[in-house]
Amino acid sequence: MTDSLPPVYGGEILHVHLDTGETEVEEIDPADARRFLGGNGFVAKQVAEHVPVEADPLDPGNVLAMAVGPMNATPFQSTSRGVLGFVSPMTNGFFDSTFGGTLPRAQKTTGFEVVVLHGRAEDLSYVLVDGDGAEVEPAGDLAGMETYGTCEAVREREGVGYDTHVLANGPAGENEVRYACLLHDSEIREGVAGRGGSGAVLGSKNVKAIAVQEGEFEPEPVGDLQSRSVQQMGRLMEDTEMLQEYGTAGLVNPIHEMGKLGQRNMQTEQARPGEAEAISGETLRSEYVTEDTTCANCAVKCGKHVSVEAEGVTGAKIPEFESLFGTATMQGVYDIERVIAANDRCDRLGMDTISWGVTVAFARECHEKGLLDEDASPHLTFGDADGLVELAGKTAHREGFGDDLAEGSFRLAASLADDATRYLYGTKGLEFAAHSARGLKGMSIGYATATRGGSHHDTRPTLQYDGHHDETTEGTPAFAARSQHFTALGDSLTQCRFVSEGGWGPRINDNYREAIELATGWDLSLEAVERVGERVYNLERLINVARGVADRESDTLPYRVQHEPIPDGPSEGMYCPPAELDTMLDEYYEYRGWNGNGHPTTETVERLDLEDVATALSE
Amino acid sequence: MEVELRLFATVRAAVGQRTLTRECDPDTTVAELLAALEEDYPPLDGRLLDGSAVAGGVTVLRNGTHVTHFEGPETALADGDAVSITPPVTGG
Repeated sequence: MTDSLPPVYGGEILHVHLDTGETEVEEIDPADARRFLGGNGFVAKQVAEHVPVEADPLDPGNVLAMAVGPMNATPFQSTSRGVLGFVSPMTNGFFDSTFGGTLPRAQKTTGFEVVVLHGRAEDLSYVLVDGDGAEVEPAGDLAGMETYGTCEAVREREGVGYDTHVLANGPAGENEVRYACLLHDSEIREGVAGRGGSGAVLGSKNVKAIAVQEGEFEPEPVGDLQSRSVQQMGRLMEDTEMLQEYGTAGLVNPIHEMGKLGQRNMQTEQARPGEAEAISGETLRSEYVTEDTTCANCAVKCGKHVSVEAEGVTGAKIPEFESLFGTATMQGVYDIERVIAANDRCDRLGMDTISWGVTVAFARECHEKGLLDEDASPHLTFGDADGLVELAGKTAHREGFGDDLAEGSFRLAASLADDATRYLYGTKGLEFAAHSARGLKGMSIGYATATRGGSHHDTRPTLQYDGHHDETTEGTPAFAARSQHFTALGDSLTQCRFVSEGGWGPRINDNYREAIELATGWDLSLEAVERVGERVYNLERLINVARGVADRESDTLPYRVQHEPIPDGPSEGMYCPPAELDTMLDEYYEYRGWNGNGHPTTETVERLDLEDVATALSE
Repeated sequence: MEVELRLFATVRAAVGQRTLTRECDPDTTVAELLAALEEDYPPLDGRLLDGSAVAGGVTVLRNGTHVTHFEGPETALADGDAVSITPPVTGG
C-alpha cells in the first residue's frame, strides 16, 4: 500500500459543524485515496462514517459532503466537476450528485478535497470556504431568494466578484421540496447538482449557499498530464461535435427516431409528427441559442444560453435533454417557448426538472384516469403549457396541490387510490430519467439495481444506443454492472461524463488507467482501475443495505415497465416482464458476488477491501 | 425504389436539409446509400463510411432500429424504408 499521498491531492478533509460554526481538519489517509480516488468515493465514505443509519435525510444527522477529484485544476480536460454526497430525501439511500462550473476547480486550490457540512445552523446562513478553512455567515436577508439572485448576493457581499464561486439553494430547497437542487452560477457556465434532493438537505441544515474562494494549493501531477491532454484533444473535439453545437438537447431527435422517448407519462414513446422536432436541439440552436458556455478547462462548450423575448427569458440556461423529457414530452407540451420558461423557473426556484417533470406527468395521468379531481389539483391536463409554468412556482412554494407535488411521485401515489401506482415511472423513490426502461434492456436491469434509483448515471445508456445490450438480455446484467463501475470511477475522478464518453471511451480502458497513473504515479492494472469503481459501487450498496433500502424487493421496476409493452413506434412490444427481470437479477447478483437478496457477501466485502466500512455501518 | 433519409444535427447541417428522398436500385445496401451521399454532399465526404463500415462518427437507423441489428452496412434496404443518420448518441 502507499505510505504518502501523491502531490496531486490537497490532502485534507474540512468538517464544518453548522451548529457551532467550528471546523476541524482531517488528513486524508493515503490508503483511502488509493481505494476511493476522490469525488464519489470520498463522499460515500463520509456518508458511511458520519450518518447514522437510522437518521432521516432531513434531520441534522445527515451530512452534505462536497468533494473534488485528483485531476481538478490540472491540465486534464473537463474535470471541473464537483460531487455532493448525502442521504437522499427521495430514496432514503446514498446519493451522489455532480455539477460543473468553476467552483470545483476553486475548491481544489483550497487544499480541501472534501468539505463536510454537519448538523444544522441555528439561523439561515451561508458557508464560505477558502484555503484557511470555513466560516458560517448569516444569510437571513437571503431568505426566499431565487438561485441566481442568491449567487449574486453572496458574490456582492464577499466583494471579489466571480472570484467567489457560489452554489446556491432556491426557495424549493428552503421549503424542503424533496427533489430540490442546487445551482452554481459561475462567470462562464451554470452548473446544477440536479438529482436526489441536495437542495432539500441543504435547506434542512438552514444553509442558503456554499461559497468557495481560491486558495494557494496547486496540484502537481506526477507525470506529464499536459502532453497527454493535448494528445487527446483531437479525438475529444471530433467525438463531441454534437454536444458542441447542440448541447444535450441534440439527443431529442435521434432518441425519438428510435421510438424510445417517453410521451405523456410513458403512455407511448413516440410523439406525433413534428412534435419532437419542435423541441429539438436543432430548433433550439437555430432559433433560441444566444451563446455557448463552458465549465473551467473544457473546450467542448456543451452549455448554451437561450432567450425567448415573448416569455421575458433572457440568457437562460438551455433545457438539457433530460429536462426536455421531463418538462415537454412527458407533459405532452411541445411549445418550446413555454418549455424554456418552465425550465428557467425550475432553475431559479431550484428544482430537479426530471423528478419534478415526471411527478407532474404522473399527476396528469392520475387526473386523466379520474384519480385526481380538477378542483383540488388544477393544471393537470396533458398539453397544458401555461399550467406547467404555474405549477413550478406552486411546487417550490408548496402552495395548494404544489405541496403534494413537492413530495415526489412515489409519496403522491401513496396518498391516492391503489391504482395510482400503475402510473409511476421510477424506482426506489426516484423518478427515471429519459432513457427508456422498456426500450433499453441495459437500462431495465441498470435502473432496477441503481444505488440512486432512477438515475441514468449509474448504468449508462450510451453504448445501448449504439446497439449494445439494448435489445438482448444476454450478458446484459454484467454489462450493466460494469457500466456502474465506469460511472463510479468517473465520478471519483470527477470527470465530465459527456466528455469522457466521447473523448476517452464509454468503457474503462487504458486512457483512464494512463491518466490515473500520470496524475498519481500509481502503477495500476486495468483490472485494479475497474476495481476502484466496483469498490465505490459496493460501498454505496453497503450504505443502502444498512439503511434497509436495498434488497431484492427494492431492486425492481414500476408496473408499466413490467406489464405494458411500448404500444407503437420502432420499439413497439418492448418491456421487461417480471420473469425477465427476475432472471437478470439472479445473473447480476451472481456477477457481483452478492447473495440472493442482493447484499454483498462477506467474501465480496473482503475482496474489495471494504471490511472497515462494513464494520462501521453495522455498529 | 424510394428511400426517405432523415438527417439530424451535424449531418443535417452538412446537407442543409432535414430530409431527402432518394431513388435507389432494389436491394441497395446501407453502405451503398452512405457512399452515394458522401459523393453528392462533399461536407460528408469521409464522415459516413470508414472503409466498408459505418463510420464511428455516425449512427444509422433503418426504420428506427440500429443497423447493427440487421446486417450492419450490408443491410439491404426496401422500398419505403426510412433511414435516419445522426451523430452518435452521447450525453444526457
